[in-house]
Amino acid sequence: MDAIEVINLVKSFKEKNRLIKAVDNISFSVKKGEIFGLLGPNGAGKTTTLNILNGLVSKDSGEIRILGVDPEQNEQNWEYIKNKINVSTAYYSLSEQLTIKQNLKVYAMLYNVKNVQEKIDKLLKMFELKELENRKVVQLSSGEKTRVALCKGFLNEPEVLFLDECTVGLDPDIAEKTRKIIKEYQQKNGTTIIFTSHYMYEVEELCDRIAFMKNGKIIKIDTAKNFKKLIKKTSIELTIKENYPAFLKILKEKKIDILSTGTNTIIFEVSSSTDQLYKLMNIIFKAGVKISDMHMNKPTLEDIFIQFARRKQKKSKMSEGK
Amino acid sequence: MKWHRIKALLLKYFYISINSVDRWFDIFYWPIIDIFVWGFASFYIKELSNFNLLSVLMGGIILWVFVWKSSQDIATFVLEDFWARNLYNLFSSPMRISEHVASIIIFAFLRGLISFSFLILLAYLLYSFNIFTLPILFIAVAIFILSLIGWVIGLFIVSLILRFGQRIQILAWSIVWIVQPFSCVFYPLSSIPAWAKPIASILPTTYVFENMRAFFLEGRAINYGELLYAFMITLLLLVIVAIFLTRSYAKAKQSGILAKGD
Repeated sequence: MDAIEVINLVKSFKEKNRLIKAVDNISFSVKKGEIFGLLGPNGAGKTTTLNILNGLVSKDSGEIRILGVDPEQNEQNWEYIKNKINVSTAYYSLSEQLTIKQNLKVYAMLYNVKNVQEKIDKLLKMFELKELENRKVVQLSSGEKTRVALCKGFLNEPEVLFLDECTVGLDPDIAEKTRKIIKEYQQKNGTTIIFTSHYMYEVEELCDRIAFMKNGKIIKIDTAKNFKKLIKKTSIELTIKENYPAFLKILKEKKIDILSTGTNTIIFEVSSSTDQLYKLMNIIFKAGVKISDMHMNKPTLEDIFIQFARRKQKKSKMSEGK
Repeated sequence: MKWHRIKALLLKYFYISINSVDRWFDIFYWPIIDIFVWGFASFYIKELSNFNLLSVLMGGIILWVFVWKSSQDIATFVLEDFWARNLYNLFSSPMRISEHVASIIIFAFLRGLISFSFLILLAYLLYSFNIFTLPILFIAVAIFILSLIGWVIGLFIVSLILRFGQRIQILAWSIVWIVQPFSCVFYPLSSIPAWAKPIASILPTTYVFENMRAFFLEGRAINYGELLYAFMITLLLLVIVAIFLTRSYAKAKQSGILAKGD
């Protein structure tokens, strides 16, 4: 059984007498224990999709199933589901006039958590907030607030966890620790996670599969590895020690795309999927060209993100689908 | 409705109250101001006309606190969650709207009781006015009806906030003061202009204050039949506002206001 099933989901919002389709007939499923990434530019429909899944926004049409249950059928179903899921976001604070500990106690009671004190202490230590437990949320930095939101997210040991930009504002070391905690927690408990982030390396590091969204539609769902294969070229930066003119001549003869040239440096592109670079290197060495430095810029998820985000709607429709 | 979730929200409001001094301020500040202003005004009226209005004015101030505190606290607690952008976390939890409303109503009532007790004490110490010269049954019924009316006004404001967001927050502090002049808190129904009488006659609050005044000024027995009628109207208004609230909540989910928080 899939932990989450979304079928033909549609949601529009009225804005100044205009109807804007925030989610446009999307379908996807997330397996139990999978970390599923939602990626896309601002206004792509990622957060609206999450808000429908956590019951904050009602859908126009389509179906959603969480842990095999259709929550939209009645209030009891939502209550059942909401006890088993949780959400953590950097953008919405907990009660600002309450201390961290008071907030977590209130939410522990809302989620009917057992061994409240023990669980809160464990989470506060895990996210390095123990010393701040009696500080009001309003007095915290944005990074500290983000960590409190994460504590709340883990409070009820959810079967499904929605993490919406949950590492925004964190120091790099804390963000790295947080990713480690998420990964370890997920592996230990088999939690299903839907993850959105603007940090591509984070999505690449954590997610088993990624759905790329744009203008409310899912453009493509795949693994980070397969996404990267979509970028056909790798850029190579070389510093030439000897025979620079001969090297330039070879590149021109082989019709290699040269991106830029310097006095003894050059950046050019080769195909990522073939042995073009290997063959080129052989020719270069035989011609007596000596290289003092070499950098290879492999395609990243960020390149894919930029490529997809800039792609015109017409083109995206062609490659639409799972 | 689950009691553990209502308890959790009550705990939240309790924490807000002990952490923020300003939340105690309005329990005591405005009642003190009212007691002084109307107490001194009644001295002046007595000096001019030899007519003692003190009991009528004090009784009005003390009982009105339930309408005022209930309506304002209900709206303020919901607005506070809007301001703190906390609705997202609250409504993504298993909490139901009915539990949210129940907890706010209970807490607002408790705050009303504190204001009420403080006013009784202050009126007694300053002017030797004793509210308990009124029949206990009347006081209990009056508190019940006036609290219910406060809930009706408060929930109406919450419904509007759910539909239109924070931009209508000014209503949280003003609607109750629109109701007050037509409730005949400090003057009899017979004294208000003819055009205002039909409005005052359908307000349950009018019957509570009319009975209180008749008891104090004319020594007339309380007319519980009138109070039953007032209760029936209140109940009808409560049902209407509950339907409006349910629809507004559905509308809020549709518009995404709970997620956006503005």
